[in-house]
Amino acid sequence: MSLTFTSMEGKSRGFYILVAILAGLTVLGFIGFMISYIEGHQTLGTSNIIPWGMTIIIAIYLIGLSAGLHILAFLIHILGRKEWKPVIRMAVFLAIVLIFGAMLSIALDIGRPEKAWRLFMFFYLNNMTSMFAMNAIFYSCYFVAASIYLMTLFADREKLSKIMGMVAFCWAMLTHGGTGLIFGLIVAREPWFSSLRPFEFIMAALTSSLALLVVVIVVTFKFTQRQARNELVVSLGKLVAGFLCGLLLLIWVGELIHGYIPHNAGSAFMLAGPFSGLFWIFQVILGEVIPLFILFHPRFGKKVKGVVTASILIVVGVFFERFYLVIAGLAYPLSYFPGKIEGIYGAVGFFPMTPVESVISVGLFAFMGFLFIMGLKNLQLLPAEEGPEGTPDQKAI
Amino acid sequence: MVIDLDKCVGCQACTVACKVENDVPHGSPEEQKWRREIYWNKVIAVTNGKYPRVNTELIPMPCLHCDRAPCVPVCPAKATYRREDGIIMQDYRRCIGCKYCIVACPYGARSFNYKEQEEKPYHRQDLPPDRSVWGPWPFPSRTHGVVEKCTFCFHRIDQGIKEGKKIGKEVVPACVEECPANARFFGDLDDTHSEVSRLLSSRGWLRLREELGTQSKVYYLLK
Repeated sequence: MSLTFTSMEGKSRGFYILVAILAGLTVLGFIGFMISYIEGHQTLGTSNIIPWGMTIIIAIYLIGLSAGLHILAFLIHILGRKEWKPVIRMAVFLAIVLIFGAMLSIALDIGRPEKAWRLFMFFYLNNMTSMFAMNAIFYSCYFVAASIYLMTLFADREKLSKIMGMVAFCWAMLTHGGTGLIFGLIVAREPWFSSLRPFEFIMAALTSSLALLVVVIVVTFKFTQRQARNELVVSLGKLVAGFLCGLLLLIWVGELIHGYIPHNAGSAFMLAGPFSGLFWIFQVILGEVIPLFILFHPRFGKKVKGVVTASILIVVGVFFERFYLVIAGLAYPLSYFPGKIEGIYGAVGFFPMTPVESVISVGLFAFMGFLFIMGLKNLQLLPAEEGPEGTPDQKAI
Repeated sequence: MVIDLDKCVGCQACTVACKVENDVPHGSPEEQKWRREIYWNKVIAVTNGKYPRVNTELIPMPCLHCDRAPCVPVCPAKATYRREDGIIMQDYRRCIGCKYCIVACPYGARSFNYKEQEEKPYHRQDLPPDRSVWGPWPFPSRTHGVVEKCTFCFHRIDQGIKEGKKIGKEVVPACVEECPANARFFGDLDDTHSEVSRLLSSRGWLRLREELGTQSKVYYLLK
């Protein structure tokens, strides 16, 4: 069975309009970044209480989306599930674009981006006990490993791509576990401090990235007039459902452990605090319960539309999970001294979305979209028209 | 450092003295509202009980210079480090502004420069930096995008040691010197004859958030 890949034609009017829009938004985002760089972070919504804002949220979200995509490599090369081979190139390229976007996002977040090179002075100028310094190794090596893996896929080197696929998969898990540890190791922030954090991040990564892949497959196939096979999408949906159950379990186990008396103030804040509406409505109901219902539903779960709807909800829900973890976790007031701390030092933090921060966030996503469709146009990422077995496609999307 | 809560009247003289000594930006009500004002030393008020049985404690909080400081291991750029004498320092030249230390500090002792400040030098003009030492000084000026915090007025201590003065008696940080109630004491905790050691052995004391195991070096004498 040989698979052929091709690139997107990209000559239609719609394509050029899309490219122009994405490029325009990217430029706007860059202008936003320049404003924040020149004027300082006062243009963003961050403060001394909530020092991390949208760029960090987007960074950890993107790392998750990227890392989880390598589960496909594991499934194809180790478990021998060849039916997902047609989308592997696209998935790996998407992963590379996303990790690049994540690294860019971190660079935009730091106060003095011109000193970002210090993060890469391993063992010499940087402090290797810091999760940021370790993650600099994780992210950059992951980027390299994923790139080599994609090259082996392009070269059709079966054995080599098996090895590199495994390297990239393991490194992806390490990468996202390390990202979780950024939060899990902070003893000062009760809502964050947890040994489950890395595993929760990995599970969220697997769930959200496969959901994103479903959406990307369906959208790109539709726009390139390809026919996606129904069972490919539905089987991905089943996988997503499984991971989503795992994610729910980890989140609840984490909250329950920390919700037990007496050290439960942080957990109580996350579950019933002033921001908990975000958690219950966007993360739990929209991002987890409804998608699970759809995916396990005997009828909706077998339809592409159902799987895609659930996937979109999951992709958005996991974003809110990250948002909630960072913003609400930081807004939780530190108790310096027993009693009610008066004034601003005891108040719950707040996070306003400023125009500059919104523009930077949108620009980041637009830039990745731009890179992705440029990749589709210039690299042979998409499967050629026919299904892998040459069978007639069952259902056009 | 030892702070006597029985003597503290909450006059904020320490906050003002610190701002003057270290040229910490004055800030504005707007910045205060957005919680972007820079404080190296702050005084918090903690209320317990209900009217008419209310008790308000005033807790002055500089950086607590923890022995096991959570901000030091998280800094990726070696910008935050512990000096041999126990002072936790911030090297502004190395700081990349990732704000991880603000996140990790359990006491909110750190502030970020959210804008280009008018107060450029990091210390008083009449205390010229020693350019022969490759340390955190000399700093040309304050820029936005880096984190800063209390240094226990290390420039005074270093100068005092060089001049052979007695640290804790002749040379103390600005907040200790300016306290009108003499509520603050500074000295060597390892020296059993120092004033701070004597106070700690004679009175009941506590350290903030002791349960985290930070072993902070600011002790509060109880009422």
